[in-house]
Amino acid sequence: MKLSFIPEDMDWVCEPCGLALQPGMAELFYLGNVFRVELPMCPGCGAVLIGEELATGKMLQVEQLLEDK
Amino acid sequence: MDQQELHRWEGRCIQEEPPACRAGCPLGVDGRLFSQAMKRHDLAAARLVLEKSMPLAGIVGRLCEAPCEGFCIRKDFGGAVALGDLERYCLGAGPGRGKGLRLPGRDKRVAVLGGGPSGLVAAFELARKGYPVDLYHLGAQPGGWLRTLPETRLPAAVLDEELRFLHSLGVTFHAVPDLDPGLPALAGTEACYLGRDGDGAIALLATLSAPDEVTFALERPGTFAGGIAAGDHPQRLILSVSQGREAAVSIDRYLQGASLTASRVLLRHGRTELYTDTTAVTPQPRVAAAGHGGYSGDEATREASRCLHCQCLECVKHCVYLAEYGAYPKVYARRIYNNSAIVKGIHQANRFINGCSLCDQCRALCPNDFSMAELCLDARRQMVREKRMPPSAHWFAISEMRAAASETALIRHAPAQKTSRWLFFPGCQLAGIRPAQTLALYRHLLALDDRTGLWLDCCGAPAHWAGREEELAAMLARLKALWQEMGEPPVLVACSSCRKLFGEQLPEVTTVSLWSYLRHKPLPPARATTVPLAISDPCSARHDTETRQAVRDLAAAIGQELSPLAMSGELTECCGYGGLMDNADPALAAKVARARAAQSEAPLLTYCAMCRDRLATTGQMTLHLLDLLFPGDADAASLPPASLSSRREGRRSLAADAGRLHGEEPAGGGRPGDDLLLAIAADVAARLEERRILVEDIRHVLSAAGRSSSFTHRGSRRRLAAGRRGEVTFWVSYRLEGSVHHIDGAWSHRMTIGTEDGP
Ligand code: SF4
Ligand code: SF4
Ligand SMILES: [Zn+2]
Repeated sequence: MKLSFIPEDMDWVCEPCGLALQPGMAELFYLGNVFRVELPMCPGCGAVLIGEELATGKMLQVEQLLEDK
Repeated sequence: MDQQELHRWEGRCIQEEPPACRAGCPLGVDGRLFSQAMKRHDLAAARLVLEKSMPLAGIVGRLCEAPCEGFCIRKDFGGAVALGDLERYCLGAGPGRGKGLRLPGRDKRVAVLGGGPSGLVAAFELARKGYPVDLYHLGAQPGGWLRTLPETRLPAAVLDEELRFLHSLGVTFHAVPDLDPGLPALAGTEACYLGRDGDGAIALLATLSAPDEVTFALERPGTFAGGIAAGDHPQRLILSVSQGREAAVSIDRYLQGASLTASRVLLRHGRTELYTDTTAVTPQPRVAAAGHGGYSGDEATREASRCLHCQCLECVKHCVYLAEYGAYPKVYARRIYNNSAIVKGIHQANRFINGCSLCDQCRALCPNDFSMAELCLDARRQMVREKRMPPSAHWFAISEMRAAASETALIRHAPAQKTSRWLFFPGCQLAGIRPAQTLALYRHLLALDDRTGLWLDCCGAPAHWAGREEELAAMLARLKALWQEMGEPPVLVACSSCRKLFGEQLPEVTTVSLWSYLRHKPLPPARATTVPLAISDPCSARHDTETRQAVRDLAAAIGQELSPLAMSGELTECCGYGGLMDNADPALAAKVARARAAQSEAPLLTYCAMCRDRLATTGQMTLHLLDLLFPGDADAASLPPASLSSRREGRRSLAADAGRLHGEEPAGGGRPGDDLLLAIAADVAARLEERRILVEDIRHVLSAAGRSSSFTHRGSRRRLAAGRRGEVTFWVSYRLEGSVHHIDGAWSHRMTIGTEDGP
């Protein structure tokens, strides 16, 4: 299953690189676990954007689950 | 915790001990559960409660002499609950008996001699266990003296129904002319019960010695006897029934080759450890039946409502946290034990373990000194040792502690002094929440004794509460070394938590409660309020009688009128911060604070800065004692609680001001982003507070914006920037107008992106 968190609004630009963000595969790590996730990413430097909804929603849930494992 | 420790813990909580009525019933009938069902007039449920413990309930329940009533806790408050009459009503008005359960058949036959109550019950118990039973009785029908009772006491139809039921369980009745233990028919049976309460028992009795009082075994192996022969015995029925059942237990054990006594559940004869608080019970007379035939439905319901529903729950009644999880410490001990035993899977009880405020009110309330605090702290330490403490559980408090113990820590003799007679230790919360008052207080202390040094630091309580033993040990070693360098002066401690921690962990350090010290000195021009205040003692002052008294004396000395608060002194409650409850379970901690504040109609007065702010957050007017002793210009009662950011700022400004007393200027340069102009609307600030994001976290992120992990929205010009501080990545959403950063949101996560060590 491919985990993807691409917001509807992708009108974001990476400030240092000046490039428009595109969907890209990033790795998220926590407590020895790795998740491959599709996120808005700068094609130049690879910087990844994590929005409020993701951080306070799914990501928080997974963090707490892993902490209780 | 190992199995043995678990059992020790479980044994201390007596909530599961039987109520007095049940302990006083020779059959162990649960009068409490029965009364509850009767109170609802749920006769079917009530009958089931009876049948669970009462053999042949149709007979026994109608005739029982109710010795339980002699033990009922209600007896001193209008008379015992009339359990006997309630049972009669239930059996008469309710549904008939349900289907009996019979265990799979066994091949060993048992003989019962005598058709009186004890014989019938022995036959019932053995037949239920699957033994084929032959019951020998005199006369045409079994029943013995039961057959002589008037129809109003025991309808013949009921007796016959119970006998049919016995037959259906596998009891065969044999009428014999003579009850003789030498009966040739007994030759093929492996065990035999002799009922001394049946007809013709007299003849039988003469041939028997007295049976054992517990097992009802006779000398000859395999023979047992029981039942009360004397027709005028006041508890003839119930004791006969009980003995018949006890003998049946023995016969079953005998036939299985087991010991008759080993781990046998003994009759309680009313003995129970259950504690029931009766201080609020008001007398209520027993309901008398208007008619001759016993209770009416309405009378029965009213009488059942007199049951006190005896139970302990002393701790749960007063603790929001214990009540929140729906059970009581005995159950909780097992939950905690199970939680630590999990190897694979989710540790469901982590939040529970970290949610306790460690205030130890439970121990003060419990008739058996059960301490959830001890249990939870032990569990936390174990989690830390085994490296399975959730990293986020205490993260914020621990980083606060570390900052207070480094960045804003300070220790100095009084200005122009080389030694200290006293060392004033305000504690990190007072310093952070009320920096200006803390400074005023210090100046006052200097005026009282010009050799009073100042020590700004954290006592290490957060590490203690979080179960981080190593970190606590390091904190304590550092504190001790600092204190020794200062010449080991007595420490004037303002905060009860600090004083408790010093007392427990650094007993070599002499501490004096600031409030006791002030009590014996000239006071500053104080200002009492016009309304009486209720003192809410901090939970860490539970055992500090001296400080609690000093605070009351101080209030009296400045003419402050006080109003009583029920749960105070040794029984006082936590504000929801203790034990880092607010870190691990903020919602529950808020509920705790609200419950505490709601206990008082009068505004509250406390002497812990954290208590003050947490109680004030609930909307209850709350003052700190310093607000009376050092009234500033502001109306202290309406001061809003300090935000997390302002607490850090407060500690910083206090440390800087204290340095200035010594002519030291704070080191310049500042921290990253200090000079950025920020605009944060109130609703955004509230969200930051909830998410425990500090303004300095935002400054930190913005100071690096533009260099990495920063983005601009092409349409709206909104910007996003991220940065990692310690274990957490913070994101800030903002718009730049000129040089002002208008913050419209911030969030954080602990996961790292790209590599394990951060973006
Ligand atoms: S006070 Fe609480 S812990 Fe103590 S026996 Fe009662 S229910 Fe159990
Ligand atoms: S008051 Fe109720 S629970 Fe308590 S002993 Fe009496 S019948 Fe039992
Ligand atoms: Zn880039």
